[in-house]
Amino acid sequence: MTAVLLDNLGQFSSAIGGFLTPAALFHMAWSTLLGIVIGALPGLTATMGVALVTTLTYKLEADLAILILMCVYVGAIYGGSRTAILINIPGTPANAATTLDGFPLAKQGLAGRAMGVATSGSVLGSVIGMFFLATLAPLLGNYALKFQSFEFFWLAIFGIVISGHLTALEDPIKGWIAGFIGLMTAMVGQEGIHAYERFTYGTTELMGGFALIPAMVGAFGFAEVLTVMRDPAAEMADNPQDSVVPKWEDVAKYWRTIVRSGLIGTIIGIIPGVGEDIGAWVSYAAARRKSKERDKFGKGSIEGLMAAETGNNAVVPGAIIPVLTLAIPGSAPAAVLLAAMFIHGVRPGPMIMVESPHFVYQVVAMVFFATLAMGLFGILLTKPLLTVLAIPRTKLMPVVFVLCAIGSYAITSRLFDIWVMIGFGLLGFVLREMRYPMAPLVLGIILGDLLDKNLRRGLVLSDGDLTPFFTRPICLVLWLITLTSILLTIEPVRNGMQHVWQRVRTRRR
Amino acid sequence: MVRADFLTGIALILVGLYVILESWRMPRMEHLGAHPLSVPGIVPAFLAGVLIVAGAVLAIRSVRAGGHRLGLSREKLREVLAKPGNRRLVIALVLTIGYAGFLIGRIPYEVATGLFIFAFIVVFEWKRGCATTRYVRIVVAAAILAVVTTAIVGVAFERLFLVTLP
Repeated sequence: MTAVLLDNLGQFSSAIGGFLTPAALFHMAWSTLLGIVIGALPGLTATMGVALVTTLTYKLEADLAILILMCVYVGAIYGGSRTAILINIPGTPANAATTLDGFPLAKQGLAGRAMGVATSGSVLGSVIGMFFLATLAPLLGNYALKFQSFEFFWLAIFGIVISGHLTALEDPIKGWIAGFIGLMTAMVGQEGIHAYERFTYGTTELMGGFALIPAMVGAFGFAEVLTVMRDPAAEMADNPQDSVVPKWEDVAKYWRTIVRSGLIGTIIGIIPGVGEDIGAWVSYAAARRKSKERDKFGKGSIEGLMAAETGNNAVVPGAIIPVLTLAIPGSAPAAVLLAAMFIHGVRPGPMIMVESPHFVYQVVAMVFFATLAMGLFGILLTKPLLTVLAIPRTKLMPVVFVLCAIGSYAITSRLFDIWVMIGFGLLGFVLREMRYPMAPLVLGIILGDLLDKNLRRGLVLSDGDLTPFFTRPICLVLWLITLTSILLTIEPVRNGMQHVWQRVRTRRR
Repeated sequence: MVRADFLTGIALILVGLYVILESWRMPRMEHLGAHPLSVPGIVPAFLAGVLIVAGAVLAIRSVRAGGHRLGLSREKLREVLAKPGNRRLVIALVLTIGYAGFLIGRIPYEVATGLFIFAFIVVFEWKRGCATTRYVRIVVAAAILAVVTTAIVGVAFERLFLVTLP
């Protein structure tokens, strides 16, 4: 055990050393700053930022490009807290829970302190998530080697159902529909077993299916441009008057909340397609339940703000764990990151600990540097950075859209990809208007190929016998959770289960 | 929302049926000796089945809530379009799709992008009854941003990322 830990530590330090070059440090600095700005600007989300920057960095070397994307990702989730605190509008969906206590604190003249809390929470959340990324990813990677077609099939279905359920708690069927539309979208193009072209209708452009990055740029970029232009203009923010430097006593007083939220965030991150926003909400709810100052929540609670900001940033490294070990994204930005890894020739998945274990530690080192840069910039540059919030949407959105269009074109120099961006943008906009979540849709597009190949392979392996799909231990766990998740949304079943549970409890007494 | 759900439910059922039909028509690869359960149509058909069931649930649920009574009329449509938010949305759609879908690739990138940014800013910032100096400021700012953005994006992609822009 000690030898393994020492080996892990050794690999991690050599990965850290690998990034201590002027070029890497320069890329780290600008990309984290850009991430914070993207996060802070309402209407620019982490997913959009990572997708757009992917189009800008695909000519760079793989490790530098992924480093930049990681810094944008970490920076954006943190940057969103600035707007949430100052103008009560979450900069990214991940910061929705931050508004609950962040904005009341700002109204009390404590905007600077609230930002300090957000900085410390985000840094510590990232550190906790990073610890689990470094320790769990290798373990899960080795465990995933046992997965066969049957398990991968259920993993895809499990991912879609759980992600659909948790991202659309009010109406889970919409989450599932979004997920299955994503899976269906992935059916377009040449399939992986017989190389038959499905739903291409003779167009060569569709042979490879819909390119993921233009689709994501559309669903998260173009759709967002349309939403921002449709909604009333956001208010301008005033700079905080008090200090934004985090206070040690805030951390010391709420260390339990920090650890709890970090753990919750990491677990939520690992669950496929359930992103930072859910991580923040669940951490916030748990903190409130356990808090001695419950009545302060929603009125400017430091603890509530700490929980939300620790929870959302802990999701980031958590969401990378399944990306590396199973090639399944834990969140929407992680889905873009996964696509970027494929573009750069990195092959994440169960074989990663066999083929390139050093890459896992490189990613841990990337999170480490991104966290460091985020903390530093959060303390030093918060006030000057807030001037970007004064840019009106009428000037920002056309520039963002130009990047959406040219970025989509740039990867393969095909005008067709611009149409893919437009198509997915419109689809994303309409679906979001009707309250369909985007994360399961993206997850579906990514998992479609995995589901397709593994369902058919599994059926061939078992010669049409469905038993192994239901009886193998991992399959059993996955389908039972999936089924329970679906059944619990059906009211009579839920009521019946509650009734049975109550009877069991009264009998025990 | 119930009306939208009703229409979505119907659309999902129709798309699902179409996909099942297409999947049925896909080759079975018998001449290659392929296993009948490895055929290309099996997974799309399975997914379509799920979408049909979900669409049916959505449609039935919305019918119960009265969503099938669409109540479409010209007046209602005019009312929807008259809302400032929706008007901005339609303008944004025309400008963005016009630029990305029709201008790029037909006229040089620099002209298309410059025109798009200029038009976008002017159209959205223009308000009736302002002083002439304000109009001049809007036009000048739009022109500067159009030229600067076009130049920066052009240089970044063509020189740094070595992409030939359309």
